[in-house]
Amino acid sequence: MLDGRLKEYLTGFAEVVVAIVAGMLIGGLVMVIGGYNPVDAYYQLFVPSLTTGYGLEMTLSFATPIILTALTFAVGVRAGLFNIGAEGQMYMGALGAVIFGAITLPSILYLPLEFIVAAVLGMIWGVIAGILKAYRGVNEVVSTIMLNWIAYWIVESMRVYVIPNPVDASKTVSVPPAGRLPLLVEGTELSAAIIISILVLIFTYFLLWKTAIGYEIRAVGYNPLASRYAGINVRRVALYSFIIGGFTAGIAGFCEVAGRPPSYAITTGLSNLMGLGFDGLTVSLIGYNHPIGILLASIFIGAMKAGSRNMQIYARVPLEMVQTVQGLIIIALSIPGLLRIISRRIGGVR
Amino acid sequence: MKVYPDGTVALRGVDFHLRKGEIHGLLGENGAGKTTLMKILAGVLKPTRGVIEVNGRRVVFTSPSDALKLGIGMVAQYPALVPVFTASENIFLGLSRRMVSRERLVKLMNETGLKVELDAVAESLPMGVRQKIEVLKMLYRGVRVLILDEPTTNLTPVETEELFATLKKLRDQGVSIVFISHKLKEVLSITDRITVLRRGVVAGVVETSRTNPEELAKLMVGREVLFEIKKKPVKPGGEVLAVEDLWVRGDSGEWAVRGVSLAVRKGEIFGVAGVEGNGQKELVEAVTGLRRVEKGRVVFLGRDVTNRGPQELYKLGLSHIPEDRVAMGLIVNMSIIENAILGLHWSREFVNSFGVFKNKRIVEHALKLVKEYEIVAGNLNSPARSLSGGNQQRLVLARELSKNPSLIVAANPTRGLDVASTEYIRRKLVDLRDQGKAILLVSADLDEILELSDRIAVMYEGRFMGVLDSKEADVRLIGLMMGGYTLEQARGMRGVENA
Repeated sequence: MLDGRLKEYLTGFAEVVVAIVAGMLIGGLVMVIGGYNPVDAYYQLFVPSLTTGYGLEMTLSFATPIILTALTFAVGVRAGLFNIGAEGQMYMGALGAVIFGAITLPSILYLPLEFIVAAVLGMIWGVIAGILKAYRGVNEVVSTIMLNWIAYWIVESMRVYVIPNPVDASKTVSVPPAGRLPLLVEGTELSAAIIISILVLIFTYFLLWKTAIGYEIRAVGYNPLASRYAGINVRRVALYSFIIGGFTAGIAGFCEVAGRPPSYAITTGLSNLMGLGFDGLTVSLIGYNHPIGILLASIFIGAMKAGSRNMQIYARVPLEMVQTVQGLIIIALSIPGLLRIISRRIGGVR
Repeated sequence: MKVYPDGTVALRGVDFHLRKGEIHGLLGENGAGKTTLMKILAGVLKPTRGVIEVNGRRVVFTSPSDALKLGIGMVAQYPALVPVFTASENIFLGLSRRMVSRERLVKLMNETGLKVELDAVAESLPMGVRQKIEVLKMLYRGVRVLILDEPTTNLTPVETEELFATLKKLRDQGVSIVFISHKLKEVLSITDRITVLRRGVVAGVVETSRTNPEELAKLMVGREVLFEIKKKPVKPGGEVLAVEDLWVRGDSGEWAVRGVSLAVRKGEIFGVAGVEGNGQKELVEAVTGLRRVEKGRVVFLGRDVTNRGPQELYKLGLSHIPEDRVAMGLIVNMSIIENAILGLHWSREFVNSFGVFKNKRIVEHALKLVKEYEIVAGNLNSPARSLSGGNQQRLVLARELSKNPSLIVAANPTRGLDVASTEYIRRKLVDLRDQGKAILLVSADLDEILELSDRIAVMYEGRFMGVLDSKEADVRLIGLMMGGYTLEQARGMRGVENA
């Protein structure tokens, strides 16, 4: 007889496969109507980015920050919260790392301090929404959207007025070489950030499933009433969840600043950061808000990002069509996860 | 025969014969298939195989209205009236205009003796009256076969007696009645014949006058069940829990508990009886740290614990077996192992000083509970929702008792459980009492209170109507108190009757 949990995983996996196939069929149909060859296009989208060395390295480098922002959303959902503040928390984390470009320090201190300040700023940005939720009952969807924009403009005005790049007006100061994560493969964008990202993923898994705090988070997410009965402080658990989420999102910002060539900075309009938080939301939904699922889903989304260039160049599909097709696949993949969250919200405790 | 879509076979080759003008009891444990069988007869469900005959004619029902046309009507366990409509509006609901006649309704009420105030709004009426409205609704539609699904669940003893008198009258007028229940006493006192179902098959059909409780119980569960739980004489020790002039608000801000005082001593079971919704839930929640105490004190082992959180109370030695195991006692989506430490998850036995779980210890603990309390579980990693109701409750009980408590607060601990699990849990509570634990038992099941308690309080509208020793307690006295008479008043009435 199958283990109950294994069976759940298998049905989940089957669900994802069906969703991918459905999304690709619809995307293929759109391409046929547009006059493009879908077989060729899909080949270019996925095969080089998952089979060639360079493609795989790009895939992983794209996956790096998304893993972390996905964890933010996942830890929220596990506690019954819809925390979509990873975007703003990640901006703040990036800010925390990039300010060291304007500070002179002994070389050895750069990376640890960037890491710490990025994590702390991310957590602060998370805990604001947490406090509002726990003690004032403010809906976390509303507060995190607002906080995302506040973070955006704080970072953007810092870029313009406080830490502009003296030689390139389109970005902030760059962190000095001593403050950059080493590249794993020279000539690619794959840096040691992927290792940090996976370590944080393992840490989060451990926290959620092997510690009393993680137990409380999951308990509250499933059933707040029974959690109260068990003596769990439900408000405090909401705070924990926001703090952990802010931590992982802050690290995502750190990874983008300290680990992505060539700029090692924040660019105009936060263009090198924008959207990574929401990509995380998608990845978390696809990956069942579970660390293992998140790892696989982030590689899938990373591959699509890495493959979009090939699809344009070799399959001659224009950027707009590439984005349309990718959007269709992502929507198809997110539907099951979204439905689960919605039914849980409507259904209440059970 | 009926197979549910999920493959569960609810009924297997069941024959059921109903005669004109009889009250036919349908007896069985939870999940025996009683309700399924009756839903098929009332046209709510379709059988997978098999035939229904009415007055010798073969019929096929596609909806409840088909059954109604042939005079078969069912009253569900919980009255489904429109709360803001009056009694007569509810009875006439759905009928065409020419069918509506107040005179005919009044005539029907006089003939059957089923009298209700027709212009009272349904939600303002007690459960017993709502039940009568449902029955009237069926009779008004010309029903000659009346199916009642556990009709006494929400009734006080006095209301139950009234209902029984009505049913006998209807029978004498030629109405056939199916009385579904799992309460032996009721079935024995009201029915003419009894069909006993056990796990989807007919275990036996007996004449009520020629059977006894032991035989029925045997048919129902397939083995000898001892209903008499033997108790050693009570030897109460020191006070474990004292509640002094407790005032607690309900969910909508009204006073739900109004100045209750009680004391539970070592080695005794203190029972709180009462019709549901008279403040018992709020009393339990206030004592167990889940609801704010507005006025008064809760003293546990000599310490004032008023408005302390549950975690602190558990550490002092409280166990709480909550009323709703699915909503409160368990997190059904978490595994059996994880549920085995719910509320104990910070205990140093299971976490190290970094808050990391000691996995081996936790698994051992879960295995021990499952073994000791005979919990039927496939895989301990599967979610608790995969357990049956009885096994879920055993898991709650096992976990709570593993805290080695000095006080156990149990709210409706056997609600909805089959006979075997009920018996198991009641026995366990008595064992604990004999071991010198203090037990506060709050239950709407009067048999349970009478069977287990050493002292009994009856709660009515947030107050205790009196506390009496179990030796002087009987159903009638308690029933009167449940209906709002104080102990003195109730005793006075009995005095008059006896004289």
